[in-house]
Amino acid sequence: MLVPLSWLREFTPYEGSASELGERLTMLGLELEEIVNPFAAIMGIKTGFVAQCDPHPDSDHLHCCKVDMGNGEILDIVCGAPNVAAGQKVAVAPVGATLPDGTVIKKAKLRGQTSCGMICSERELGLSDDHTGILVLPESTAIGQRLVDAMEMDCEVLDLSITPNRPDCLSILGVARETASAFGLPFHVPDLPFETDSKSGETILPIEIEDPELCWQYGGRVIEGIKVAPSPHKMRYRLIAVGVRPISNIVDVTNYILFECGQPLHSFDLDKLSGGRIIVKCAKDGEKFTTLDGRERMLNKDDLCICDANAIVGLAGVMGGLDTEITAQSHNVFLESAVFQPRSIRKTSRRLGLTSEASYRFERGIDQMRSIWALDRACALMASISGGLINPGLSLEIPKPFKSARIAYAPAQANALLGVTVANGRQKEILESLGCAIENSEAEVWTVIQPSWRPDLTRPADVIEEVGRYHGLDSIPPELPPVHRNLADCFFGHSTFSFWNLVRDWGAGVGLNEAINYSFVGQTDLDFLNLPPDNRITVFNPLSEDQNVLRTCLAPGLLHDLANNLAYGAQSVKLFELANTFHADPSSETGATESGVLGILLYGLRHDSGWPHADGTLDYADIKGLVEHLCHFLNLPKPLFTRVEDHPWLMPCVQITVGNEKPGFLGKVKTDIADAFHAVKNVWICELGLDALQGLHEKAMRRFHSLPIFPAIRRDMTVIADKKIHAGSILERILLQKLPLLEGAVLVDCFEPSDSDERHLTYRLTFRHHDRTLKDSEADKEREKVAANLRKSLGVKI
Amino acid sequence: MEMDLINSLKNLGLDFEKAVNAAATPDALEDLRIEYLGRKGKLAEIMSQLPKLDPSLRPAVGQKANEIKVECQQLFEAKKGNLAKESEARTLSRFDPTLPGREPWQGSLHPVSLVIREVCGIFGRLGFDVASGPEVEIDRYNFEALNMPPEHPARDMQDSLYITDSTLLRTHTSPVQVRTMLARRPPIAIVAPGKVYRRDSDLTHTPMFHQIEGLMVGKDITMAHLRGLLQAFIQNVFGRHTKIRFRPSFFPFTEPSAEVDISCMICGGKGEINGAPCRVCKGTGWLEILGCGMVDPNVYESVGYAGDISGFAFGMGIERIAMLKYGINDLRIFFQNDTRFLEQFGL
Repeated sequence: MLVPLSWLREFTPYEGSASELGERLTMLGLELEEIVNPFAAIMGIKTGFVAQCDPHPDSDHLHCCKVDMGNGEILDIVCGAPNVAAGQKVAVAPVGATLPDGTVIKKAKLRGQTSCGMICSERELGLSDDHTGILVLPESTAIGQRLVDAMEMDCEVLDLSITPNRPDCLSILGVARETASAFGLPFHVPDLPFETDSKSGETILPIEIEDPELCWQYGGRVIEGIKVAPSPHKMRYRLIAVGVRPISNIVDVTNYILFECGQPLHSFDLDKLSGGRIIVKCAKDGEKFTTLDGRERMLNKDDLCICDANAIVGLAGVMGGLDTEITAQSHNVFLESAVFQPRSIRKTSRRLGLTSEASYRFERGIDQMRSIWALDRACALMASISGGLINPGLSLEIPKPFKSARIAYAPAQANALLGVTVANGRQKEILESLGCAIENSEAEVWTVIQPSWRPDLTRPADVIEEVGRYHGLDSIPPELPPVHRNLADCFFGHSTFSFWNLVRDWGAGVGLNEAINYSFVGQTDLDFLNLPPDNRITVFNPLSEDQNVLRTCLAPGLLHDLANNLAYGAQSVKLFELANTFHADPSSETGATESGVLGILLYGLRHDSGWPHADGTLDYADIKGLVEHLCHFLNLPKPLFTRVEDHPWLMPCVQITVGNEKPGFLGKVKTDIADAFHAVKNVWICELGLDALQGLHEKAMRRFHSLPIFPAIRRDMTVIADKKIHAGSILERILLQKLPLLEGAVLVDCFEPSDSDERHLTYRLTFRHHDRTLKDSEADKEREKVAANLRKSLGVKI
Repeated sequence: MEMDLINSLKNLGLDFEKAVNAAATPDALEDLRIEYLGRKGKLAEIMSQLPKLDPSLRPAVGQKANEIKVECQQLFEAKKGNLAKESEARTLSRFDPTLPGREPWQGSLHPVSLVIREVCGIFGRLGFDVASGPEVEIDRYNFEALNMPPEHPARDMQDSLYITDSTLLRTHTSPVQVRTMLARRPPIAIVAPGKVYRRDSDLTHTPMFHQIEGLMVGKDITMAHLRGLLQAFIQNVFGRHTKIRFRPSFFPFTEPSAEVDISCMICGGKGEINGAPCRVCKGTGWLEILGCGMVDPNVYESVGYAGDISGFAFGMGIERIAMLKYGINDLRIFFQNDTRFLEQFGL
């Protein structure tokens, strides 16, 4: 909300500075965004008097003027405007002044005649699009002044951010009222310049309200014999200062009053309204209506409309119609001032994507008690500047008169909730300064009566807020709360939050960088990974096509991250992410199942730091090693890795089994998919369900196993086997034999000659006896048993 | 014969001493040991003649041989020690402490995780539990139960991404308040971190970001308590001397509501740096950091709480705090996952 300080001062004699006011209002909840000068670009423009205006000797359209700048200073200015004439008061840009378009005025010669400045048009001053001639100022204008001073332009405008609960402050009057109570100043509403008497005169247009729930009040007056013309300078410049484009005296008045007191008004061309009555009713489904902006709108039965006897003439509270708008030819005006149900206005405005200054105020709630005042003030203004006559007949229907809330309020409540002591007298003073009437203020429980302009003030809590605001939330003494808790809520157990943090610690600790991606991706991202189209959750109104579905796995985000990093030349990318994935689930209250997933992506060099690390590219062993490490970290059983076919985006793909859970997969992203992300090396991704891991982790028991007392004997054994035989199968065979003295076996070397179908796998066998020191010969004997078994069962050579 | 052998032994001793003194490397020294004292060495060769001697003379020669052998071994050990010392000294003199270390991979937590952890840690010490809720939320919990019925203008403050008419991606973490109040009875003290979503994307808005919500409901909870709690929290995050300002504001689910500003840590709350307006606080000296207020009675009503209870709620944007705390000047970088960005954070 833009609030020109000089306009505000019409209602309260605030003498302080704009910044001081902004600061005070900020601390009352009307936050100052900034103080702006809408006329900053024309501060160098001065007023002058065209003392003499002669035709240019060498031009048929230029004039040589002598412009009196006051103080005896006379400027020679060559002017090309057709309307320049001696005796005019004009706006002059003297040498050195800058115009809004950045032009700096210089002394110049035009066809031999010296020109020491420029007489400006409104367009050159950025005040309108009018460039038919120079701006001619009223005769009364003082010369030699800054234009902004001479024309009383509002150069100090507070830009306030108004919260949705304070529609009263969407007007100068409302902000002035707040200013008056903040500084203890008088506040006065302008008197109406004419007697209004709804009983006198004949109603010209009767009002019929078919939907009294949606239209609470509808008033209107007729002004006859108007002449459409530009508004007076001051009104136009004021509208510019609050960000509105001046249009004509009739339309400008409606805007002026809207900004002044917050009541939206609409002016109809009376002669275009047929049937002699106004009907307020909802549209029919599919009915069409062309709004002022020239766009045809498709309406439905929830849209409240203003109609004449034949057709819709306005979209109630949102925008008028093109057919009945005021034009240069209009003579008679029907001016509407109404109050509509906020919800209905908002619904229509939202559905049509059509927000106006009017709808913005109606949907927040306006001061019903000021509606007729606003109408009358607008009529008076309109009549005075357009030469029209106000018809004494008032059209008015009030299906739902405003009724103030009567709030039972105990001043002790404020003190109890705020944690302060604000004396009853002070509370009363605060509330009265805001326009509340108070009854029973001697009793423990007062009756606080809501002012008509405060729709947000209906409950004791609302009253407490006002007391708090004016006492100052910032002066409440801070104090730590005693934290009481239910014993039943104090079983901390295992929370998802702490488990995810544990896994994050692991990821960062093991050397991965934590990524966070958007939860939404594009349908095409999921399609590209060959993921099933069913059970996806789509966003109804996405910002873009690449954010129109919730991710069902983390790979799309991680792959995009990879592409981003490769784009800047990353040699090594090691990311992890913990996030929810989403699947449609009709049985869920929200329609979605959200499952936490840990995703890991490895790509490129194992170490991009160089010496002393050996060169090498991240491979299967790295990502598998991470999973094994995580399982150990979480105290889980050793994971098993099984090749699976037909994974949509991994090849090869390995399923991970931990205990009786299958928490996820790891593998190499299919080459054609990886290519699309500009990967030139293998991309390894692992995704693990966090719920499964958490369940396993919670079940895992930490048990101590006694350390062995007697020494072990190790024997290496190289198995020469077909490459198709998995290393794990050999190990499994060894362990399945369950030799009592064999404590364990690990693969210590794998040599794969490229010219052979066989490879050499060296296992280190550890033998130990619990109760005594084992002899070498016994170990050798055991090793031979293992070898014999492998030869027999797998047909391998030892 | 006897004297010949003894002389040979003496000579062997002298030869070995000379050779040992001349040996320059551990390998040469070891070769000498094998040459003289090895199983087939010179000493053994001399001793091999012992059987030819009269048995009565053997002990004397044997004794001498033993003496010589011990002497030789001592010489050898001493020299070996010296060589080792020299070698170590040489190595030490060439030791280069500036060669790179064999660093393990350097992992990192996302700055959002770091802040969530810090904030939840502080509230945890103040006695608050961590609660959570779904990211796809029903309209009722996201809006209605929080005193934002359909067509309430406050819904404009949060442009939503809808899934269906009645479900959406939660626009704030506040629905966790509702879920917690429905699931538990007062007293309640929780914080709830998580992802939230708005239909908004520009330089200073991303369609997904993170918030932390706080809720405390009990008996005799006042706004003074809210101020005290937030002061403790803010000074722990931003430093002991951070000033705090409570400015009235509006949220549908709290009343009175306040925005909390902290003194700008860049300009020290002065609003200017060397005469120029501070860019971070735009010259005001204050930075908006969170929203809060006393829980609105309509919220209690929507969760079925009645009677003598009061409480407060607060909520803050995590990225905002991270930006202020770590000096990050671009919001969008949070979700690009550029490793050059991520690696700056560590644990």
